[in-house]
Amino acid sequence: MTRPWVVLALLLLTVGCQKPVKPGDPLRGLSLAERDRFDRGKVVFDSVFTPETGLGPLFNSTGCGECHEDPAGGRGDEVEVHATAFHAPVCDPLAQEGGPVIQQHTTPALKQALGIDQEPFPPSATARALRTSPVIFGRGLLDLVPDSALLAYADPDDRNHDGVKGRPNHFVDGRIGRFGRKGFVPTLREFNAGAFAAEMSVTNPAQPTEEDVGGKPLPAGVDPAPDPEINQEQLDLTDDFVRFLAPPTPLRLGKDGRHGRDLFSQIGCATCHIPTLRTGYSPVQALSNQEFAAYTDLLLHDMGADLADICLGLATPADFRTEPLLDLRGAEHFLHDGRATTLEQAIELHGGEGSGARDRFKGLAAADRAALVAFLKSL
Amino acid sequence: MRRMIRTAALTAILLVPLVISAPANWGALTSAQPAPSYTYQGTVRAVNVRAGTLELITGVGMSLRVVRLKTAPTTRLVAAGAAPRLADLKPGDVVRAEGRRTAAGLVADRVEKLAVGAR
Repeated sequence: MTRPWVVLALLLLTVGCQKPVKPGDPLRGLSLAERDRFDRGKVVFDSVFTPETGLGPLFNSTGCGECHEDPAGGRGDEVEVHATAFHAPVCDPLAQEGGPVIQQHTTPALKQALGIDQEPFPPSATARALRTSPVIFGRGLLDLVPDSALLAYADPDDRNHDGVKGRPNHFVDGRIGRFGRKGFVPTLREFNAGAFAAEMSVTNPAQPTEEDVGGKPLPAGVDPAPDPEINQEQLDLTDDFVRFLAPPTPLRLGKDGRHGRDLFSQIGCATCHIPTLRTGYSPVQALSNQEFAAYTDLLLHDMGADLADICLGLATPADFRTEPLLDLRGAEHFLHDGRATTLEQAIELHGGEGSGARDRFKGLAAADRAALVAFLKSL
Repeated sequence: MRRMIRTAALTAILLVPLVISAPANWGALTSAQPAPSYTYQGTVRAVNVRAGTLELITGVGMSLRVVRLKTAPTTRLVAAGAAPRLADLKPGDVVRAEGRRTAAGLVADRVEKLAVGAR
């Protein structure tokens, strides 16, 4: 064998033997400096806040890692409460009454001052929603998919008559959204900064004002830490940790799994759960111009009356953003509120624009349905 | 000694114009500084035409806040080149508001209705 062939063979062997990316691992190809930021960001992500370091006085969790755990960035078993008011066609996120995230815990000082264990449910709400903690792997890649790619998949008037529309949500300032179960938040950076404030009431340079209590000012003395409660570096490190979390490598597919993957496309699941997306440019080489398994179009789809809960932005109560199918093999609950305990149930609960694919799934032979589920469990 | 007296006299002569031109009240000078301006881009939550007020929903991620602005006779309202009235703004509209903080609250200098967010 000549020398170039030996080099090529070794290269192929190296690529072939590359260890699979496990849940919680960083992206491959990060520079040393980026890997250092990932590690330091994980420390902030895993830290537990107290009232003295900024927690509360209202909160859902004491740290990022409390809800996105096992491993860091993964799922948790927490379920939180959101509330908004829908007066068609306008959605009021009830920010004046503490919405849309209604915190479920209070610090001892707030409990002593107001005698409450959680934020009061907004009196003007027209709906209540439960939200499980999503996995946050691969979010840095989703962040970098250009808006133009999303818009290319949108078909708000169903011009191709396939029964599937798809349209982007918009944030309160009019920008196209993509993060969150309603696809409301435009960027990962804002999602992370907003989560510090909405989930832990930890103020930061991006959101320096404290959560109030159901729209009423905080009583004096219940928020001892000066604002902002974390600095820009802590916020940036946490953001980099989440941004650099890799999507786990799918398991190797057997014959059934490969058949299931084909069926996934044939029965129309892949119309919304687009298998691969491509990122745009990023100064982080590991994120730049990467094709990756996303299984989402990041667009809103009407999922039917049975799944409907709150509105948010342009999303009606029945509209949900196509969930990226990442790390399904680690999941024990499915759908936005965790109501499904198996993948079969989750598929059968699809309504509205998803009802065509659901019906085709239900019409498959048992062995084919099992093959499709086997494929999903490889993700 | 004579040299010191000459220097002191010269210094006094040079300082006279400065003392004459200085305001009698330095506090007045501070309050005359232009108030820092703020720009908010958000969704209109409520409009009170009679009170001349506007509430916007702004925020970061899922952490949303309400910003209350007053309008003044000098507030410019703009929409795609047109000049709407406050009554023309409605909940759900997306606007960019520029204003400044005063003793009476946040006062809008300019409110522009943006052509985004339409269903």
